[in-house]
Amino acid sequence: MTPESLFMGAMILLFLSATLTMIRMLIGPTIPDRVVALDALTTTTAGAMVLYGVITEQAVIIDVALVYAVLSYIATLYIARYLVKKRVGLA
Amino acid sequence: MNFENFFWILQIFIAIGLIGSSIAAIRFKNLIAAVIAMAVFSLALSVEFYVLQAPDVAIAEAGVGAGLTTAMYLLAIRNTTDEEVIE
Repeated sequence: MTPESLFMGAMILLFLSATLTMIRMLIGPTIPDRVVALDALTTTTAGAMVLYGVITEQAVIIDVALVYAVLSYIATLYIARYLVKKRVGLA
Repeated sequence: MNFENFFWILQIFIAIGLIGSSIAAIRFKNLIAAVIAMAVFSLALSVEFYVLQAPDVAIAEAGVGAGLTTAMYLLAIRNTTDEEVIE
């Protein structure tokens, strides 16, 4: 077993867990369930992106994972602000 | 496991994510849930660009999809109503 195949197996397991999280996003009854599922999905996928950069031995494409991990936080923040304002009654 | 099989397994997972999230974004009646499904669709599209060795396009897609469209859709929904109107 080479190290590359080990990384490939780890990345496939990460994608499997991302698929399970996406099922929670699809059937989640309330909005906060879906927001938490989206956040977990982006975190899992950022880890998978780093593993893909290790497998293909290209250090350039690890930057995409960094940019996505920073930007996905903005989306979660906006949805959370919207939900809080809606509960308080401002929106 | 060689790289060829691994690449096709990844393609199958990304295709499942793209189709599932796009159908969900169309079918959801709650607009916030539809916006979240659109965010997941943009994430899967970014991973697809990434796997196909185009990291600059993936960075642009990540910035537009995760940052801009989610915030702009939420601002638009906040200025109108929350539920989809069914006539």
